[in-house]
Amino acid sequence: MEDKGFTVSFDAATGVATLTMAMPGKVNKINADFGNGFIAAFAEIQAMPGLKGIIIASGHKDFCAGADIDFIYGQRDADALYAMVSELHAGFRALETCGKPVVALLTGSALGGGYEIALACHRRIAVDHPAIQFGLPEVSLGVIPGGGGTQRLPRIVGLQASLEILAQGKMVRAPKAKAAGLVDELCPDAESAHAAAVAWIAANPRAKQPWDDKRFVWPGGVQPDTGDARNLFAAGAAMLVKKTAGAYAAPEAAVKAVYEGALLDFDSAMQVEARYFVGTVVSDQAKDMIRTFWYHRNAVNAQANLPKIADARVQKVGILGAGMMGAGLAFVCAQRGYDVVLKDIRQDALDKGLAHIKGQIPKLAKHLSKDDQAALLARVTGTLDVGDLAGCDLVIEAVFENLDLKHRVIRETEAVLGEDAIFASNTSALPIADLVKASIRPANFIGLHFFSPVEQMPLLEVITPGTTSEETLARALAFGRQIKKTSIVVNDGYGFFTTRFFSAYIMEAAQLVAEGHSPLLVERAARAAGMVVSPLKVFDEVTLSLAAHGFEMRKRYFDDDLDQAPGVRLIRKLVELGRTGKAANAGFYDYTSQPRSLWAGLADVVAELGASTPTETGIEVLQDRLMLAQVLEAARCLDEGILKSKADAEIGAIMGVGFAPNTGGPLAWMDRRGVRAVVTALDALAAAHGPRYAPPASLRAMAEKGERFFEAV
Amino acid sequence: MAEAYIYDAVRTPRGKGKASGALHTVKAVDLLAGAFAALRDRNALDTSLIEDVTVGCVTQTGEQGSCIARTGVLVAGYDETVPAVTLNRFCGSGLEAVNGAAAKVASGFMDLVVAGGVESMSRVTMGSDGGAIWDPSMEFDYGIVPQGISADLLATLNGYSREDVDRFALRSQQLAGAAMARGAFKRSVVPVRDQNGRLMLAEDELPRPDSTLEGLGALKAAFEMIGVQFGVDALTQKRYPHVEHIHHVHTAGNSSGIVDGAAAVLVGSREIGDRLGLKPRARIRAIASIGDEPVIMLSAPAPASRRALKKAGMTPGDVDLWEINEAFAAVVLYTADQLGVDLDRVNVNGGAIALGHPLGATGAILLGTLLDELEARDKQVGVATLCIGGGMGIATVIERV
Repeated sequence: MEDKGFTVSFDAATGVATLTMAMPGKVNKINADFGNGFIAAFAEIQAMPGLKGIIIASGHKDFCAGADIDFIYGQRDADALYAMVSELHAGFRALETCGKPVVALLTGSALGGGYEIALACHRRIAVDHPAIQFGLPEVSLGVIPGGGGTQRLPRIVGLQASLEILAQGKMVRAPKAKAAGLVDELCPDAESAHAAAVAWIAANPRAKQPWDDKRFVWPGGVQPDTGDARNLFAAGAAMLVKKTAGAYAAPEAAVKAVYEGALLDFDSAMQVEARYFVGTVVSDQAKDMIRTFWYHRNAVNAQANLPKIADARVQKVGILGAGMMGAGLAFVCAQRGYDVVLKDIRQDALDKGLAHIKGQIPKLAKHLSKDDQAALLARVTGTLDVGDLAGCDLVIEAVFENLDLKHRVIRETEAVLGEDAIFASNTSALPIADLVKASIRPANFIGLHFFSPVEQMPLLEVITPGTTSEETLARALAFGRQIKKTSIVVNDGYGFFTTRFFSAYIMEAAQLVAEGHSPLLVERAARAAGMVVSPLKVFDEVTLSLAAHGFEMRKRYFDDDLDQAPGVRLIRKLVELGRTGKAANAGFYDYTSQPRSLWAGLADVVAELGASTPTETGIEVLQDRLMLAQVLEAARCLDEGILKSKADAEIGAIMGVGFAPNTGGPLAWMDRRGVRAVVTALDALAAAHGPRYAPPASLRAMAEKGERFFEAV
Repeated sequence: MAEAYIYDAVRTPRGKGKASGALHTVKAVDLLAGAFAALRDRNALDTSLIEDVTVGCVTQTGEQGSCIARTGVLVAGYDETVPAVTLNRFCGSGLEAVNGAAAKVASGFMDLVVAGGVESMSRVTMGSDGGAIWDPSMEFDYGIVPQGISADLLATLNGYSREDVDRFALRSQQLAGAAMARGAFKRSVVPVRDQNGRLMLAEDELPRPDSTLEGLGALKAAFEMIGVQFGVDALTQKRYPHVEHIHHVHTAGNSSGIVDGAAAVLVGSREIGDRLGLKPRARIRAIASIGDEPVIMLSAPAPASRRALKKAGMTPGDVDLWEINEAFAAVVLYTADQLGVDLDRVNVNGGAIALGHPLGATGAILLGTLLDELEARDKQVGVATLCIGGGMGIATVIERV
């Protein structure tokens, strides 16, 4: 038993037995070993004479990390999984109906299945530390809780509160967990938590779960099968669909499991959960999401094949340009403890940027003490003088996308920097190699492409032209880790990966509109496919004029037929009409209308440009077009070596520019569709609309050989 | 095939469906029993001849649960051999009860059946009976939305503006007011009295004939909050992706009123009428129900009417008068548009917007109103039709004899 990591101790003085989980490795996770070990240890405890109560504790940092993802990922057999889950349910049920008080001693995080163990205890006593989290984040991997979470949590915190946690996969930090009802007691440290557990056992010798009491009343004020409950579920389901456009199966399954389970006695309710759990686990969507959000994300964050350095040797960061991006970056850096010099050429722009940083404090740093907030602000200095950048270890330029301008700021900045300083460009498209030409220290020069709003967006695209030294890359990656970004490292080339990929999305939307498809259907099709933001809306946000500027820059790097595409002509025309986007209150949308609507004049402009009525249209056709254009760009970036790994493609697409998370990413989308079918569809598009849709040779080769990007599960 | 005739139709006046309404203190079963008793007394019926009683009631829970139809029969003092069944086809229940009775008679299986409906909306809250329709699966998988959203969607898709629906509501109020002033409902309406014989309500309580377009226009859109803030509008996008925004045009003023009421209709064969010396008032020429797309939900009265008219060998042009239930103003506008029927033959005495819609009873009430007006105008053919939750429609074609 000990070899599986479950130890049992007994304190005869108090009659309290402690079951300590310390599975081999660093974490406790629920797999076959867990089931056997836990049940055997529990059986041993139950046989102890003089037993008054039980503490479930962890010998690791975390209480329990939840289900073994390898196990979940491999499951395709619904019958076998149902049987296994039923056994787990029986084990948890035995725990909570053993007749003795059982306390979960939460000295570390308890997530997913780990938190479900705690839910099956009679009391949850936690250490009050912000690094400790609780919750049921299963839906973020495309599955729902399978250890009773969808049934116990609603019966503990109430229907409404549980729906929010379950459908959003919300995690709550310990200091807030008591108010949220996720734990019963908070203690300052492990010792006091243990003492509280012992005391609670002494005071509650005959503990049982509230739902095992015949007079059980649901907490939270809403009883199942009442008008209030029906309204709650109706509104909850509607809000969910509004957010997800119906593209995600797991949160819907969670709501269904809560709704149906709440109408039943507890043991029957567990069968309902088991059915929905099994249904999500064996689904394609779960496999695609687990592959990307677990395996790929872990692989990318591990940075295994990249140069590693513990200390970035960065204390002071200079930011050039106090716009949205520059000011946001300054905030992020200051938040992570860096001294920041924010430089602009205009006082009003600088003032605006500094005001933005100040404005972020109540939104993003409200958990800090007044002193810490003041210190954060004090770390940022604004200046108009390039000389003030002296002493910066890293300078990130976020000035306008103009090669000459960038060359000028590179020259004047490098002149005041030390030999060891890194100069990074946050250009979203210009090849870093073209910028390096102005640098006196090419080995210290790198591309660091952030995403807006940088405070929220988790990705950092690191671009290394051949001139960048390994050390510079290693320091840049260490800096990225320090500011809590997930970095992908790509090769240099116009638009790198993410900008090319994102442009393919919004340009295909413009192209579809230019071909005469309904702009509203284009928007709806994108959301129904799982895209985080609809393309014309986001086009307006990035501004059409910026895109038009991009076409001009792009021409120097790509020799293709995009420039003649109707979509490009449409954008140019809209810019000409002054419809440059959201900032101008006029783009694809009319921002003066209430409620905000697509611009009614769009159809006339499209007709003027010569569009005819498309022979085939509708949500499915448009979804296909939008997705194909994007996956094609991903395939090209792999083909051209811009992308160095398939995991980077998936992570960069989803975390950088909001590609449909439900698909697992563009490559997973191609696998699901079948590479051969993708190539056939692209060939048809190329024949109809031009060679810019032609698949690259490597994709064609994959199709011919019947290959996939990722191994099928 | 035997034929089914309507011998008589009675109803209670409709009381406001709230605690201050005149019928709020009357038990639902008493409303129903009152209608049963009136039907018996007016026609000097030997109730032992009644072979079945079919009653529409939508919210069959609480005091309206457990087959209120049979309890109503007993309370009314009908012969104990009279059986009864309560049915639920949502808002079509009252007409379904009549249609079912007609089918039993026309098939020759039965000779004399009482049909009717009851709903005390002030005493039994609409929706309080729960149901599978409320399962979130129906929202996820079908995009089912509350009726008001469907009504607003119907208006949006067909370009009915807020003014269009308000004007229709005003018309309903004015026509109902005029009808009451000239006693158009007198033949059917039986006053409700308490156990001591004291009068509780003699006439429909809800109408506001002095309504104005300005007053109606000032009312708040009833479904905007759940549609926009609670995100319910988004549920319709799966079926109606081409609708950018739903225009929330329906209000308490241009939707059917919440009321209490009951109705009863005597349906029988020609032979039983001859035997009892009763004069048939109309023949039930055809009946039909139909399903339609459940998100838009309220679009089926037109196809139901067409199906019934086709069975009767008629077209919409053959119909002298229409009763199209005013669940929402847009439903009547849409149904009339679809059928190509001029509004001057539709709901000529107003409708549920002014008079109220006691869910389970309305269908039976509409048929009585229709028959009374055909007689008053000496016209022949009428159709009563209703939209129904879950995306259904029902229609009955009658012809005077």
